[in-house]
Amino acid sequence: MLKIEHLTKTYGDKKAVDDLSLHIRPGEIFGFIGHNGAGKSTTLKSAVGILRFDAGRITINGDSITEAPVKCKRELAYIPDNPDLYDFMSGIKYLNFIADVFAIAPADRQARIRKYADLLELTGDLAQPVSAYSHGMKQKLAVIAAWLHAPRLIVMDEPFVGLDPKASHLLKQMMREHCDAGGAIFFSTHVLEVAEKLCDKVAIIKQGRLVKVGTMDEVKGDDSLEEVFLELEAE
Amino acid sequence: MLKVLVKKQLSEVFKGYFYDAKKNRMRSKGAIACWFVFFALIMVGMLGGIFTALSLSMCGGLTQAGMGWLYFLLMGGVSIFLGAFGSVFNTYSGLYLAKDNDLLLSLPIPVRTIMAARLINVYLLGAMYAATVLIPALIVYWVVAGATVARVVCGVVLLATVTFIVLLLSCALGWVVAKISLRLKNKSFVTVLVSLLFIGGYYFFYFKANDLIRDIIANAQTYGARIRGAAYGLYLFGRIGEGDRAAAAIYAAAVAALCAGVWAVMSRSFLSIATATGGVSRVRYVEKPVRQKTVFGALLGKELARFASSPNYMLNCGLGVLLIPACGVLLLIKGAEICQALDKALAGRPGSAAVLVCTALCLASSMNDMAAPAVSLEGRSLWIPQSLPVTPRLALRAKLALQLLLTGLPMAFAAVCAAIAVPAAPAAKALLCATPLIYAAFSAAFNTTIGVRMPLLRWTSELAPIKQSGAVSIAMFGSWGFCVVLAGLYLLIGYRLGPALYLALAAALFAATALLLLRWLDTKGSRVFAELT
Repeated sequence: MLKIEHLTKTYGDKKAVDDLSLHIRPGEIFGFIGHNGAGKSTTLKSAVGILRFDAGRITINGDSITEAPVKCKRELAYIPDNPDLYDFMSGIKYLNFIADVFAIAPADRQARIRKYADLLELTGDLAQPVSAYSHGMKQKLAVIAAWLHAPRLIVMDEPFVGLDPKASHLLKQMMREHCDAGGAIFFSTHVLEVAEKLCDKVAIIKQGRLVKVGTMDEVKGDDSLEEVFLELEAE
Repeated sequence: MLKVLVKKQLSEVFKGYFYDAKKNRMRSKGAIACWFVFFALIMVGMLGGIFTALSLSMCGGLTQAGMGWLYFLLMGGVSIFLGAFGSVFNTYSGLYLAKDNDLLLSLPIPVRTIMAARLINVYLLGAMYAATVLIPALIVYWVVAGATVARVVCGVVLLATVTFIVLLLSCALGWVVAKISLRLKNKSFVTVLVSLLFIGGYYFFYFKANDLIRDIIANAQTYGARIRGAAYGLYLFGRIGEGDRAAAAIYAAAVAALCAGVWAVMSRSFLSIATATGGVSRVRYVEKPVRQKTVFGALLGKELARFASSPNYMLNCGLGVLLIPACGVLLLIKGAEICQALDKALAGRPGSAAVLVCTALCLASSMNDMAAPAVSLEGRSLWIPQSLPVTPRLALRAKLALQLLLTGLPMAFAAVCAAIAVPAAPAAKALLCATPLIYAAFSAAFNTTIGVRMPLLRWTSELAPIKQSGAVSIAMFGSWGFCVVLAGLYLLIGYRLGPALYLALAAALFAATALLLLRWLDTKGSRVFAELT
């Protein structure tokens, strides 16, 4: 689904990501862990075509994100760490804008909006301007927008930040259902307990370099993910 | 702390001068110097030049008649008008609506320090405009009447007094706007409507000012006596410029007292207004049938929604939407008269009326430059178009199309009015219709190009990209320059070709340049946009 090969990205003299390779397959929830500034967001942004990189290759279903960006972006959805949405629109207008871009037929979009907005309890607020939304409501709107076009790959940067416990629980369910239906999810998080319970695979990045990757059992063995992470950080 | 906050705000205002967003690094010292020289040329050369000429036309006569105070009263009035009334709504945004309000209020900074920093910013911007009128006026006076110590000292006091009066008016009006705005529905359009009334009043005064000033100069003694009798305060105000120390002291004390009063009133309400959510009534969502748009339609709709949601955006970058058809109506009513006067005044240059009317329409279209800040206005939501399956080319075309649509439609009406009103051969009439429309397309392409080349994506107040960015300055002054060249070249040599051939050549040049710019936007410009971070 998503293949990252030898990704390298520098900012000035600093290597944010250094020769990183990952493969996220259909059906996988893939967690991406690392300290602040480790290169997680840079990797995610490069994977969805927002950020140009210096070396390496990223493909989505075999298509290169640099050579066929529009084709790749039709297959994916991205939620950034801070959901800066269009403040000048109402929630429903934003969702209709996204639906128009993905050419979702009116009947389909209305059904999906109803389904996800009801699930995340945002339906009553869809007519409100996004500028009046709280951080959590914006995050919910971003989640609905991401699921709206039924993408095969969903890339999320710290998706649980700002969500209340119920919404976090629902999002985890949605992620599981999405992957059980053949989709894939690649997301970063600092909440190691969530990663441990939710992810099929996990990768740990440190100072731009991949230090560990594999299934949850392969990475943590008999320890907790937190212990493994802290041990790797200390090295 | 105050210094840090003011420095932060000013660095945001002038960020484009120090920081190259395209290359994501600071500009070289040489480039920074060039940007500031360019800014100084515009402020001192262009605005300062206009008011120097106005001062020269009034100062000699009034000073010789012993009415120097009337000269300062008039110039001071113009200065206050220019500084205050044009920025009422910007004051509201600048004072209360900055995006970093929550951040600053959460820091251990006294609220009065935050308010003072915002006020200093408003003061500096108002003072900058007021000074472009008053400094030339003072210098001209000192040259004509002689510069004594008292005159220079009092002149400086007058300048300070005027700039603080500008601040007082801006704050008072901004505060009223804030109070009203918190209670309004459809804020954007009501704000625009009220602003337009202000602007209408502004231009009404501006157009009447010439006659008024001429009348006052011609009857200086009569008016002087009346003002001294009925409004002694105004006489005292004018006397400051002439070097009257008592008048300077009285006004300085009065303005200081007023400043203290305004500070006290604003201090009481600043926090509640700055943190108000606006009391927006809750609208319950009801599912309605939707119509599917094309990708381009969705992008264009998004640009239109952004434009219609922001009074600042509409007022600073979209006045042409009203002004262009107004020009058309004016041409229908007064066109024949205007053309007769132009033909008479420029008898040696046949066909000038057609070219000058065409230039006037192009100039009116320069009031629309919504494409110039469109890239910058993406700001922190730039990730949306970049992560969606839309080509950068299409995203830029939507920004261009908004300006083209909002300028082209009114221009089509105005151009037809011009063709009806201006007596010319059929070919010249056809080109009088076509050239402003082609110019509108060129202007849209030019402004989009500048917007891509000079993006300002990290802002805390939308005023930064809309009003204070390099892109908007170049778009506005650039379009004025194109119009000056269009009219100037005709009056210099173009008249030999006749209006039809000249306008045909100009239209061809604008069309060719627009196509080149479009080509750049589709290729290199799209790459630049895709790589913006």
